[in-house]
Amino acid sequence: MKRPPDLIYGVDERPPLAVTLFNGVQHVGVIAINLIYPLVIFKMAGAPVATVIELLSVGLVVLGIGAFLQSSRRSPVGCGFMCPTTFTATYFSASALAVKTGGLPLLFGMTLFAGLFEIAISRTLSRLRAFLPTELSGLVVFMIGITAGIAGVRTLYGADAPPMRGDEWLVAASTLSIMVALNVWGTGPAKMLCALIGLAVGYAAAAIADLFDAGQMASLAAAPWMALPTLQHAAWSFDLSLAVTFAIASVAAAMKAVGTIAMCQRMNDAEWTRPEPRSVTRGVLGDGITTALAGLAGSVGTNTSTPSVGIAAATGAASRHVAYAVGAIFILLGVMPKVAALLAIMPRAVMAAGLLFAACFIIINGLQVMTSRLLDIRRTITIGLAIVAGSAVDIFPAIASGAPAALAPLVASSLAFATIIALTLNLIFRIGVKKTVALKVERDSVGSVNISDFLRENGAKWGARPEIISRASFAANQLVEAVAENCWAAGELTLEASFDEFNLILHASYPGAPMIFPDKRPTDQEIIEADDGMSRLAGFMLRHNADRIRSESKGALAHIWFHFDH
Amino acid sequence: MDIDTASHDSVTAVTVKGRVDSTTADRLRDHLTGVIQAGSARLVIDLKEVTYISSAGFRTLLITARSVENAKGKLALCGVGGEVKRLFDIASFTELFTILPNRDDAVAAAGA
Repeated sequence: MKRPPDLIYGVDERPPLAVTLFNGVQHVGVIAINLIYPLVIFKMAGAPVATVIELLSVGLVVLGIGAFLQSSRRSPVGCGFMCPTTFTATYFSASALAVKTGGLPLLFGMTLFAGLFEIAISRTLSRLRAFLPTELSGLVVFMIGITAGIAGVRTLYGADAPPMRGDEWLVAASTLSIMVALNVWGTGPAKMLCALIGLAVGYAAAAIADLFDAGQMASLAAAPWMALPTLQHAAWSFDLSLAVTFAIASVAAAMKAVGTIAMCQRMNDAEWTRPEPRSVTRGVLGDGITTALAGLAGSVGTNTSTPSVGIAAATGAASRHVAYAVGAIFILLGVMPKVAALLAIMPRAVMAAGLLFAACFIIINGLQVMTSRLLDIRRTITIGLAIVAGSAVDIFPAIASGAPAALAPLVASSLAFATIIALTLNLIFRIGVKKTVALKVERDSVGSVNISDFLRENGAKWGARPEIISRASFAANQLVEAVAENCWAAGELTLEASFDEFNLILHASYPGAPMIFPDKRPTDQEIIEADDGMSRLAGFMLRHNADRIRSESKGALAHIWFHFDH
Repeated sequence: MDIDTASHDSVTAVTVKGRVDSTTADRLRDHLTGVIQAGSARLVIDLKEVTYISSAGFRTLLITARSVENAKGKLALCGVGGEVKRLFDIASFTELFTILPNRDDAVAAAGA
């Protein structure tokens, strides 16, 4: 483990109190924008303002507990890094469906189920990787973004929404403009807290436009400054038909947690190469426990906060004490109903702007994850059809209303429907994809056989990462070239490539002497003048190109294995 | 592999395209040696369009660097990015050569 140069406070270090508190406030500001998700859901449920205030207070306390749970070093759960908890768009679509179907009790019951499901899969997530390839994770994130964006528009133009007033347009536009302008042209805290500042401006604009009614203002005035939140609204019910929808959201949350925890690990270790499984497993477990707790207490699903970890990376303050400060601030806000009341009366124009702004980043993040893999025709069709299917459900609600009753909950959620389509096609398209492929190379055809194309085509079928295929391509080309010059006596060289989501193994066998892979690079003079200089340079490069390398002789054949972690 | 040569005042810029491997490295070496022997020891090698470079290619670059040094000239490389840059790093050649981000900078460095 090596300390990265940009890291100012590592995970185990204790910054001065002022630094800890300032950073804590900053993270709370970034996470606070996601309070919009429970707020929209509670409003969809038709909960009165007083109930929304109570539920938001409970949610704030859950976020605080989540921050402590996830970041604690001594706790048997949690990743142990500066990794606060946030509400998430991941559960948005499923939660909306739950409140429409069975009100708040069903929302809380299904959230509890989702948390328990994440707990259950936390130890088996890595084994599910073949069925949940990376581009499907990207698809899920993409559809979450689409759902959040559409939900923003729906608060203004949905079938149940009251007609828009002209000044609501102005409030929405000014809120979104401030968020965008600060994000694009702002610097420092203004950029970092652009969403929160935008919301504040939106509230001010809404007050000027007289968008708060007397009842809302009375609720705000009546809310006490300090009071312990109660669990009086916590009631639970369960609907089997929504289980798949929530399970999908839960898997998406777990996969996002894996990515966020990997970011935490990388932030603290300059020599980081791949996720360390123990803290990932404990982190996903912690994520599931927090969501289960949210369901029990009467709130919506939670997840690790990726933007917050991004801020820690940008500021270099990755100490877990900052997460403790975040936790303490959220718990403090949770016992201040006035704060929750202010959130509860958020005008729909401000809410829509916040959702649209958040959706942009979620959608692009999903696109980036999807395109981080080589995509062949099978994967292209899988992703394309899933996106069209998911979007169609949102555009044409008649699809859901015409579906068989048992399938209706799946079809009603664009996220669930797109994911089911993608998972199914992914399973079907596994048919005919060989895990091991081979290429024969004749000695006199070296230089003319396109080994790179062979690996690229199969890499696309496997959905391999482009950089791993590049490294394997170099290994195969350089090996064939070097053994043809020095070791390969006669006959064919066989190149086998095997892929299993975690590893890419390249196995070469040829009749001849084994190749040498020196640990030390030959000198410039040796490379130019020594007979074996070029061969030793090739061996040195091959050794450092692969994650592991092994060679042996069996009879007349030399065998070499290059192992690439994927 | 294709090779293009262009003159920029006292500097000769050689653009290499495609694969630089054991089947093509000798041709590149001969070309570069010819340029140096013709009196153009201020040399830029543009690798922007190189798709693959093996140990044979690196050996050619080393030989060229030595020839330029013997001729009291200057050598600068440009267009070293992506996979080629990774291979330069693996082979520990990044520090050995003067590598500039673009051709103009490389020409200026070789001509100075």
